[in-house]
Amino acid sequence: MKVICERAALLDAVNLVSGVVNNRSPRPQLACVKFDASADGELTLTGTDAEITLRLSLARVDVAEPGQALIPADKLRQIVSAEDNEPTLTIESDGDTAHIKGEDAHFQLHGFPADEFPAIPSFKSIADADPKTIFTTSAGTLSGLITRTLFAAARENSRYAINGVLLVRDGKKLEMVATDGRRLAKCSATTDAKSDPARCIIPSKALSMLLKLADEPEEPVHVAITDTRAVFAFGDDATDARATLSTSLVEGTFPPYEDVIPKDQDIKVTFDRDVLASAVRRAALLTNEESRGVRLAFKGETKALELSSRAPEMGEARIAVDLAGYDGDDIEIGFNPTFLTDALKVITDPEVVIELKAPNKPGLVKSGGDFLYVVMPVNLP
Amino acid sequence: MPALDTDRRPIRALSALLVNQIAAGEVIERPASVVKELVENAIDAGATRVRVELEQGGIELVRVSDDGSGIPAPELPLAIMPHATSKIGVSEDLDRIATMGFRGEALASIASVSRVSIRSRWRGDAAATELRVEGDRVFDPQPAAGPVGTVVTVRNLFFNTPARRKFVKTPQTERGRCLDWVRDLAMANPAIGFEVVGDGRTLLSVEPGQGPRARALALLGPELESELLEVSADELDGARGLTLWGLAGLPSVARATAKAQHVFLNGRTIRDRTVQHALREAYRGLIEPSRHPTAVLMLEMPPSAVDVNVHPAKLEVRFRDSSMVHQAVFRAVRDALRRADLTPTVGGRAFGGSNAPRPPMGSGLLEPMDPMRPGVREVSAAVFVDAFKGAYGQGQPPGISHQPSEASDGPHTDGRSLMADGSAPPPRDASETPEPSEPTIPTPRRSDPVLQVHNSYLVTQDEGGVVIIDQHALHERVMFEQLLARVSAAPLESQRLLTPTVIEASESQLAEIEKLGPLLSRIGVEAEPAGPRSLAVHAFPTFLFERKVDPVEFLTELLDRAERDDLPPDEEEAMRDVLDMMACKAAVKAGDKLGVEELGELLRLRDTVERSSNCPHGRPTTLRLTIAQLEKLFGRS
Repeated sequence: MKVICERAALLDAVNLVSGVVNNRSPRPQLACVKFDASADGELTLTGTDAEITLRLSLARVDVAEPGQALIPADKLRQIVSAEDNEPTLTIESDGDTAHIKGEDAHFQLHGFPADEFPAIPSFKSIADADPKTIFTTSAGTLSGLITRTLFAAARENSRYAINGVLLVRDGKKLEMVATDGRRLAKCSATTDAKSDPARCIIPSKALSMLLKLADEPEEPVHVAITDTRAVFAFGDDATDARATLSTSLVEGTFPPYEDVIPKDQDIKVTFDRDVLASAVRRAALLTNEESRGVRLAFKGETKALELSSRAPEMGEARIAVDLAGYDGDDIEIGFNPTFLTDALKVITDPEVVIELKAPNKPGLVKSGGDFLYVVMPVNLP
Repeated sequence: MPALDTDRRPIRALSALLVNQIAAGEVIERPASVVKELVENAIDAGATRVRVELEQGGIELVRVSDDGSGIPAPELPLAIMPHATSKIGVSEDLDRIATMGFRGEALASIASVSRVSIRSRWRGDAAATELRVEGDRVFDPQPAAGPVGTVVTVRNLFFNTPARRKFVKTPQTERGRCLDWVRDLAMANPAIGFEVVGDGRTLLSVEPGQGPRARALALLGPELESELLEVSADELDGARGLTLWGLAGLPSVARATAKAQHVFLNGRTIRDRTVQHALREAYRGLIEPSRHPTAVLMLEMPPSAVDVNVHPAKLEVRFRDSSMVHQAVFRAVRDALRRADLTPTVGGRAFGGSNAPRPPMGSGLLEPMDPMRPGVREVSAAVFVDAFKGAYGQGQPPGISHQPSEASDGPHTDGRSLMADGSAPPPRDASETPEPSEPTIPTPRRSDPVLQVHNSYLVTQDEGGVVIIDQHALHERVMFEQLLARVSAAPLESQRLLTPTVIEASESQLAEIEKLGPLLSRIGVEAEPAGPRSLAVHAFPTFLFERKVDPVEFLTELLDRAERDDLPPDEEEAMRDVLDMMACKAAVKAGDKLGVEELGELLRLRDTVERSSNCPHGRPTTLRLTIAQLEKLFGRS
């Protein structure tokens, strides 16, 4: 194999692919990036951590000699990154050894035989094998769904299923739901065409990778879901995609999220997103590990909201927010301010609605008709 | 059943001797009991000097001589009669017992199992009288020569009760027990001089007319002076309450047994669970649970507030209001400990003082480190730990001492005041100083650099020298105190859960949950049985969520402990255990890398909590290597 690549494009691709690779994999072949140069002048880079596989098609490349190579990801990334004076780099394979050459540099890297890399199923082979559903959306829609749910997913929770994000496909509807047991974020979108219903839990790491890939909002994303995998192909043609990410699914049962979304909230207050975010952020300044909660006191008579916090050794904070249109009952409820700001950060609509029922009942944050966030209160002493 | 008939013996009244021998079985167990009874009699007789002679640990001979009031010659034969005493007369006197003895059993019991001679001269008599008794043979009193006072000589103890003699141990052991008793009695009666001579050697000698502090130090060992804190309380209120004075040892001089605890009630040695428990509680978190603090406690109570007539040797007493006693002891000792700087120094007195031998170099206590030696970092870390463990594990002399120890031989100099104005505070009076000293607690300054070693220990400095902190132990301590303060004020803040977290639990564990209910709600856990074998958790403390403690793991462990009866029945005590568990789980672990801010915060928190020098399990959180020690180690002194 011999390919001549534009260094900047190669660096972007190598950075993305090595983001998947586990450099400490017990199988050293899996700590490599696979180069695959075809006779029709295409170069693809593939990396995997055994759960997630990312395959990128590289533009601006000259295939001088088709072939394959396995190059250790970590060193490859460092070399391509360090050769910052070179407009192009030449990568050649000679048996298991890879040569990376610039104007004044020649690196020899000991790799592995290319056939020791696991076989990666293509989007086409999955699409042909009767998946549960297959549909097309856009990169912008996909990243919107991920951005507004992933933050609420659990990390290293013993309930393994909630360490991922639930994807729900039903007709034209596409939804993502994430929870860590204390709050739940749900975001929905629609696609142009209907497809079969399906549900699966996607690992958080795969979603983070998808966010990095989805940088062109208009770019089509083809999605196929089987019983064990989900595949996302970026580009006009799914079989000849710019980027293909395949991930195994998180096993387990996602909590019945529909049941925890409250339906009959008595109190509904509309806020300017930035005003509320600022008030919560400031009240949060005087909280600490043991006194995490911020008290929200809604007062019907004065048409005002007072946010207050108290950290015993530190002090107290009070922030007043004018609620001109408020005509509900008085209610005091405590929330972890981080949970509120997390959601306010990802809301794009300038208006948010807070819905409440009782101090020990969940609060609901809604925005733009497509975003819904349930947050459980804190019992303040 | 003729066979049985021939075996049967008729019921008979016991002879007086046998009655006394049986009674002696309760009172006189060994030579030490004889010493105790006789010395108590001497004290009751108003002696100013008491001399005890022992031969073969008292097995051959116990002789107690006093210069007390003596016994008038005509009363002498009565002295050896059972239940004959001058100390009480009517039943009501039992409510106001102020003398050591009162039952009138002792001499009669002793006389029934040994060869006794009593020579006594009453103050008003011109000469002494001597009376000899051997078993049930009482010889006629004979005139004798001797000073005012009484000399009781007991020979051949148990000569007529061989079964009992079998339980007597070696002379050395028996001598030790005799000395223990004299030591206790001498501590309780500092005005009286005591001398113990064993087989011709002086074993103990204290001068009359001492104060309680000087007497206690003379008996415990003067080298402990700097390791003892003065404890006092006065909660006397008419016929209720008590006054208390004593000395409480620093955690470093805690012992493996309770032998170093001397508790007195109205001048009488007692072994009382209430007092022992109060002591243990006061030291909770400062010493490991298996160790016992060194302490001398003298309680004075109106005789009517306590029943001493419970135990034949009068070791056990019954308080009318034991919770008052518990609280008074606990509070007095805890307050004294709070005022003290409890940071142990590495090597302790072995380096700082002159009255303990210096450990040889290479003992592993603190060796100069060779930076070129491979693995030296592990070695150095282990050296501190081992030095500490070793010192904690051994008895006397302890390898660990506390800050005040540096002042043990001279003027009390406190690092802080020296640094502040360059002049040392006035020397402490070497004689009896009733005012307890209150050492200030040195703390690292905010600006001092902190080094995290092996992601486990923090090294910094304070006015006294180099300070080494166990990050997990300190953080655990800090969090425990914060949680305790928080829980005492209000329930902990808790986060409600979207859907209950379900935990598998056995039926007995579910039963425990009901009992733990009030405690759980105070720490912010809301849980209820959800079916025959599961528990639903609806809310969990935000604090534990913040510290990434898993509700399932935490509650499973709590249920296991409750089921094993591993939690004290008292709610407040159980709460301490649970908070301890929370703190341990939430604290940074050894191996956690801490950022500069976290390091600073941890040290800042150290200042804010009491007793941060020991973690809740009683292990130390902080060690100090003083400048004086460093100078010595580097040969600069």
